[in-house]
Amino acid sequence: MSQTDAVVDAIACEMRADPRVFYIGQDVGAMGGSLQGTHGLYAEFGAKRIREAPISESAMVGAAIGAALFGQRPIVEISFGEFVPAAMSQLINQAPNLRYMTGGVARVPVVIRTRVGDGPYGGHPHDYSAWFAHVPGLKVVMPARPADARGLMLSAIRDDNPVLFVEAMSLAHAPREPVSDGCEPIGRARLARAGADVTVAAIGSMVAAALRAAAAVEPEGIEVEVVDMRSIQPLDTACVVESVKRTRRLVTVHEAWVTAGLGAEIVAAVAEACPQALCAPAVRLGTAPVPTPSGKVRPLALPNAERIAAAIRRLVGA
Amino acid sequence: MRVNSLQAYRWMVVCRELDRALCAANPRWFPIEGEEATVVGSFVDLQPDDAVAPHYRDPFVVYLMRGAEMWRLAAQVLGKIDGYNKGRSVPFNGPVELKVVPWVAGDLGTTVGTATGAALAFQQAGTEQVCVCSFGDGTANRGDVHEALNLAACWRLPIVYVCQNNGWAISQQFQSYVSGPIARRADGYGIPGVCIDGNDVDAVRNAVGQAVSRARAGNGPSLIEARTWRWRGHWAGDAQEYRGTFPEPEVEDPLDLYAYRLLTEGVVSLEELQKVHREVEAEVGAAMECALASPDPGPGDLGLDDVYA
Repeated sequence: MSQTDAVVDAIACEMRADPRVFYIGQDVGAMGGSLQGTHGLYAEFGAKRIREAPISESAMVGAAIGAALFGQRPIVEISFGEFVPAAMSQLINQAPNLRYMTGGVARVPVVIRTRVGDGPYGGHPHDYSAWFAHVPGLKVVMPARPADARGLMLSAIRDDNPVLFVEAMSLAHAPREPVSDGCEPIGRARLARAGADVTVAAIGSMVAAALRAAAAVEPEGIEVEVVDMRSIQPLDTACVVESVKRTRRLVTVHEAWVTAGLGAEIVAAVAEACPQALCAPAVRLGTAPVPTPSGKVRPLALPNAERIAAAIRRLVGA
Repeated sequence: MRVNSLQAYRWMVVCRELDRALCAANPRWFPIEGEEATVVGSFVDLQPDDAVAPHYRDPFVVYLMRGAEMWRLAAQVLGKIDGYNKGRSVPFNGPVELKVVPWVAGDLGTTVGTATGAALAFQQAGTEQVCVCSFGDGTANRGDVHEALNLAACWRLPIVYVCQNNGWAISQQFQSYVSGPIARRADGYGIPGVCIDGNDVDAVRNAVGQAVSRARAGNGPSLIEARTWRWRGHWAGDAQEYRGTFPEPEVEDPLDLYAYRLLTEGVVSLEELQKVHREVEAEVGAAMECALASPDPGPGDLGLDDVYA
């Protein structure tokens, strides 16, 4: 399965099992969704459970939050991450506050699904995922392989909290990999590759790039450990800390920008937990500090396997 | 579930007397005086399992109609631990367990989206429940309100939107932010829109009642603009130096208007009305006493375990 197939399969499974689960989005009906992200769902579940909405991100997310408060379990799709700011009040002021501000009474089982970053689509490349890691009350996941996409979507739908489910567009249709039936836990990182010399903590699309970088430096005798963060709120920094205690070198990489990004949070966690562990300065990689370009300038701005490999070589003094 | 006239009057008295006590106790409370007919009339005839999403300006009478305890609401305004929000949120928040759409932040318009979602939940579940959502004339200009009304109209959601037009958005009078009747915006959404006298509780109950019936029957949302007037400041301690720039209209006291009607129509006696006032004043006094006696939140009351379910 591709990442998209895996997500659609997880949604279909939950919709078959639980009549409270339904879907809101644009173009999610006969067209099959942006990047075919809902293909087959409309044919199986019909217009009442696969709801096509006006282009009104705030009302879509607000209505999903309200429906969740009153007993349903909606999934609301914001086609691309670039449109997420249009629903910001609902995502920042409403969804994450509800439980705490009602004295621990409200349940908000809503999934907000969106797509970010570089990819086959070409447009809408902005990745604002880090903004949402800042807010207590939200969960934010970003899978890097189809198996996690499926397992994390199952967990997100079954979770009683608002979950922002962010799909890297570059992974939408490739690779295709086998998936399993189970859930993957939100908030737990995964060791994608073991190695003794450098830890690369990667998010979303950059996991595959980090693995390519690791393969590229392997012939040079550099063993790279790659941690796939999988969730960015909660952020499993303990997994990175354990890894860095062994490798003593750290690179962080994500498609979002570096400043005030998740890389900073990971480096800070290492500095707090084991400041003596690092034998070289930590390196944070991300999109260059420009508004993410849509045109052919884009490759100049984005992190990639070559840039990760270069950082690794610098760290080991090669 | 239409309540009788004396009961409706009683809720209006509760609205006014509790609000006066809360304003005296907390100068940052948002007074409702003058707007009681719109608040009471919009919500008083709903079924217990309907959802309510009142505007933030002292909505407590609506929560009381749902069964909330007065002293706990008052405790909320004082920031005390016994408030439904445990001393955490904006004070006008309401108990979600009583099918109130809660106020968990102070930004306007977002609760209109959430209330629309309550109606969506009812439609998904196939019940006959409805939601009534009120918002101010200032809030009416938030994009969220436009988005929610259009979405509710497209999906024929069982919701009634009441614009509680009190003529003011903090210090600005409505001429500076509304250039036409708000009710007429309904035409653009293809839904019924009416403008009514928001100081006449019967007029509000009739208009909302018709819209509720329409929503319950599956015929979608309506917009009601209830014209009333804010007598006091935006907050209780507001010096209102901005007043007087425009001439203010002659406005009726909604309680006097209704009391006069009930008396002249012979529906109630003066003694009955006076008894209502006495009882409510005693009830409010007791609630305020309990609220003041409630402790402030202590060092163990931060509530870190209540952020996630």
